[in-house]
Amino acid sequence: MTPVRRERAERLADEELMPWIAKKDPEAFEVFYDRHGGAGYSLAYRILGDRSAAEDCIQEAFISIWRSGARFDRTRGSVRSWTLSIVRNRAIDALRSKAGKAPKLTFDDDAILEARPAEEHTEAEVLAAETADEVRGALSQLPGEQSRVIELAYFGGFSQSEIARMLNLPLGTVKGRMRLGLEKIRGELAEGIA
Amino acid sequence: MSANEHDRRLEEAAAFALGALDAERIDEFREHLEGCGRCQEELRWLVPAVRALPEAVDQQTPPPALKARLMKEVRADLAAAGAAAGSARRGGRASSRRRFREWLDDLDLGGLTWKPLAGLAAVILIVAAGVGYLVGNGGGSDVHTTEVRQQGGIVAKVVTEGGQGELRLTGVRQLPKGKVLEAWVQRGEAVEPVKALFAPDGEGNATTTIDDMNGVSVVMVTREPEGGTKVPTTKPLVEVPLEG
Repeated sequence: MTPVRRERAERLADEELMPWIAKKDPEAFEVFYDRHGGAGYSLAYRILGDRSAAEDCIQEAFISIWRSGARFDRTRGSVRSWTLSIVRNRAIDALRSKAGKAPKLTFDDDAILEARPAEEHTEAEVLAAETADEVRGALSQLPGEQSRVIELAYFGGFSQSEIARMLNLPLGTVKGRMRLGLEKIRGELAEGIA
Repeated sequence: MSANEHDRRLEEAAAFALGALDAERIDEFREHLEGCGRCQEELRWLVPAVRALPEAVDQQTPPPALKARLMKEVRADLAAAGAAAGSARRGGRASSRRRFREWLDDLDLGGLTWKPLAGLAAVILIVAAGVGYLVGNGGGSDVHTTEVRQQGGIVAKVVTEGGQGELRLTGVRQLPKGKVLEAWVQRGEAVEPVKALFAPDGEGNATTTIDDMNGVSVVMVTREPEGGTKVPTTKPLVEVPLEG
């Protein structure tokens, strides 16, 4: 198998790039980084609030993808969401390295959620492509108490019990706010693609 | 299960999707999820909202030096794998030479060339011992790499440099609560524990360091209780025989 050249790699869809990365093709990996490194870095910076720490996080996350042979399963969602979940987990680990392990988003869980044909991901893929403004809009429209628990959970890596203690709220209230907030974001996104 | 109990689980779906369900509730929720279509549907509905969250952050431009460092590490990995494959070739495994050469042929590695290198890509067992190579301008040292694919999809790589070693595992399943991975080295007849206990990350990668590789003939990994043990108590998940 001859290596994929840069110009050819650039024409490949993410899902087509991944087998090349699994075969340790550096050109394919470079294209993969060019596509998702910026989003990953932005997410790491949002979580860690420090450029140097965000750089370390991205280096570790992307090298982990490279060394693990890009263990991406296309039936479980998009390459981008998979990559960003890896970055998020690394960043949260770094953030909380002194405070103990935080719950993780795992692709084992996704296997349960995503046990359906790849074409059924279409809605999620469209959402991912069009979401930046919509999610910002949806988050900004949420009542502050709902956006706060969602941000503490996703960007802070705190569990629902930790959030309840932190905000001095009953656990049930935190659960309810998370659910209501996510439902509203999801509803806004669904309207956006209708 | 009562309706109230089910509603409670349903309410946990959002926390689960956000990665915020308390650790002690996760296994129970997963178990419930496997048999509950309603909760699965709820999660399928919510997950795109969670996946969209990172898209909403202010976009930052990563420094070009980050990409340069990343690609340097990628090329160093390739160089180590290539050196290991070269050694394997010298061991008489010429049958797989052509395939690996095809893959490596004409790779531009910023001054390093792959032309003299060849590889081995066996499905079940990849064993390769490396020879010395130079990385960048940082001077040279002998690096030996042995990689073995284990049953269950784990790939174990032992990289030895300057008498020290690093064990890198990929494809490791998450551990049950209260368990860790413990590595062991066999020197002669003796099996000794490796000090640094470790665990897989969210992507199934796990790495530990071995301070002294002198005289080590086999590296093994077992699943042990938190805190580790003095002798292995379970069958090894990983066994990596080392050459020489």
